[in-house]
Amino acid sequence: MADKVIFAMYDDDDKLMDGAKHLVANKVKVSDVYSPMPLHGIDAIIGVEHTRLAITAFLYGLTGTMLAIIGIRYMMIIDWPMNIGGKPNFSLRENMLSFVPIFFEFTVLCAAHGMAITYLIRNKTLPGMPPRNPDPRTTDDKFIMEIKTSENSHVPEKDLSKLIKDTGFIEIEEKNIL
Amino acid sequence: MNYTISDKAKKVTLGLAIVGLVLLVIGFSQQKEYVYAKKVDNHTVEIIYNGHADVESQDNLKESIKNKMSGYELDFHDASHGSSHIEHLEDSHAHHGPTFNWNIHIKHLENHNSSLLSNHESGADILVNKVESGEVSFFDSGLRRFWSNLLVNGFFFFGIALGALFFLALHYATESGWGVVLLRVTEGIMTAMPIGMGVLVVVFIAGSLGIHHIYPWMDSDLLNPNSSHFDPIIYGKKAYLNIPFFWIRVAAYFTTFVLFLRWFKKKSRQEDSEGGTTTHFKMYRRGALFLVFFAVFSSTMSWDFIMSIDTHWFSTLFGWYVFSGIWLSGMIMVMMITLYLRKSGYLPFVNESHIHDVGKYMFALSFLWSYLWFSQFMLIWYSNIPEEVIYFTERIENYKLLFFGTFIVNFFFPMVFFMSRDTKRSAGFLIVIGLMIFIGHWFDVFNMVMPGTLFDQWEIGLLEIGMFLMFLGIFVYTVLNAISKAPLLQKNHPFLEESKHHEY
Repeated sequence: MADKVIFAMYDDDDKLMDGAKHLVANKVKVSDVYSPMPLHGIDAIIGVEHTRLAITAFLYGLTGTMLAIIGIRYMMIIDWPMNIGGKPNFSLRENMLSFVPIFFEFTVLCAAHGMAITYLIRNKTLPGMPPRNPDPRTTDDKFIMEIKTSENSHVPEKDLSKLIKDTGFIEIEEKNIL
Repeated sequence: MNYTISDKAKKVTLGLAIVGLVLLVIGFSQQKEYVYAKKVDNHTVEIIYNGHADVESQDNLKESIKNKMSGYELDFHDASHGSSHIEHLEDSHAHHGPTFNWNIHIKHLENHNSSLLSNHESGADILVNKVESGEVSFFDSGLRRFWSNLLVNGFFFFGIALGALFFLALHYATESGWGVVLLRVTEGIMTAMPIGMGVLVVVFIAGSLGIHHIYPWMDSDLLNPNSSHFDPIIYGKKAYLNIPFFWIRVAAYFTTFVLFLRWFKKKSRQEDSEGGTTTHFKMYRRGALFLVFFAVFSSTMSWDFIMSIDTHWFSTLFGWYVFSGIWLSGMIMVMMITLYLRKSGYLPFVNESHIHDVGKYMFALSFLWSYLWFSQFMLIWYSNIPEEVIYFTERIENYKLLFFGTFIVNFFFPMVFFMSRDTKRSAGFLIVIGLMIFIGHWFDVFNMVMPGTLFDQWEIGLLEIGMFLMFLGIFVYTVLNAISKAPLLQKNHPFLEESKHHEY
């Protein structure tokens, strides 16, 4: 049996959610869901692993803080000490309080940009990349559930198609994976 | 489902209050009024005192100095009428000279062989140290520490209840659904508001009668242009900071808060029995109305109660800064009581996600507080204008560890420990870190009040610890008692189902 991927299309997010619950309850693995808007709670139903984007955000933020400290130390203390408001301009430690807003802003800048770029790369949605959604209608008002037979070898093919039929899709498409 | 306060909870909270009271009574007798000592040479110390002290207490102080300096022979000389003082021309009511000025000659007794006395230290050094540490001092007849602590604790616990009331009103005004199952806990906490209010009123009455001098602007001497204590800056603020207007404002704040509090409680009980959405929409509108009042009153209240202690100083950001602390302490209290009730088997409908959301509030409000703390501090520190920076100069000189320590605890602890999703769902983390920042915010109020009332003569002693524990015990007992008065679930709240199934 060749590996197949099944795309079941729905016109209502509740139908998709209930269908996914039904399938998962019968030990079918749903590999992905395409939807025009975020479906609250779908990741828990189909068992999407928790994102580690938060950890990368923290690391990017930390990088930003470090860069800001290094940069300010070089620019404002070593290279060209500037006397602003009579504050000590020869020591980073004593003058640190005045630089906190810059640390903060640069931390946010790096965390936000790093996170956004990571997100786009991870989802393969960088500008110019080919679209991965199986049907352009999922960007409009349709919802698609993706089921791979390779991940569901423990479910007999007959049962699988019956289970999928039970979920009440409006269209179904099968593709062979080469 | 009804909560009944368990015997153990009763014993713990009331026990805490009694232990606190005992410590408070012991601490009460340890209030000190400092004298100032100056070392003239190794055998002479000059002791100066500017406050009020009659002959008897002066003799007592002399006795106490003699007792503390055993092994030395002391010789007191009154130096206050020496040639250096030429202020006799002024009338007797306005003397700027010290109450007394003693020159003490210290002679080491040769036959005294105490190895405890350090050889490197001269008698004068020892005496100066004893004076500076407050070991040699008067009993503070003004009870400044007592009154200041009463203000700190009164305001802190009033703030917790007010924070809870604010959260409840916000929850209704925004028509939130997630926290419905927590609203009865919030109601219980805000019910304890009269404790703090009562204490604050006592402090204000005493201030108005001149029993303590926490609020300098209440002293009519400072407003009298003919007086030698005349303070033109406070005089300029007379239109706002005067006793009658102050009391009008206090009455306005307290009646508004109490009326809203009682109204919200009444309506939520009414909703329980009647059902429907009429009450809910009334509460929605009234919640929004409360926010309008609160927006103004939380700012002016913090100016009146706290900022006017340092009457010369002002900061427009102060109201928000105090408010963020109030709200945060309120949320910590909501969290603690919820965790306690949940552990005792009540609140089965409160799930991990509710805990997580209150945890998020604790995390986010810690940041709000830190942001405002830092904004206030940094701008004033950086611009370095004398009339503004004096506030922080006092704090950094005399309260350095406490002042920065409070900030570090209240900022870094929540940041590091509450950043992760898992810690915001773990009771252990929430309790330990929550208690730390709870105490941290008590110290925050301490930092706001003490430098203006006790200056460098502050202490964290039995008085402070005892009074805090006493208030905590009474407060938590009142809260639990109030929670036991009503069902733990608002069974007819329109968003109840949403809240029960709340996730994330």
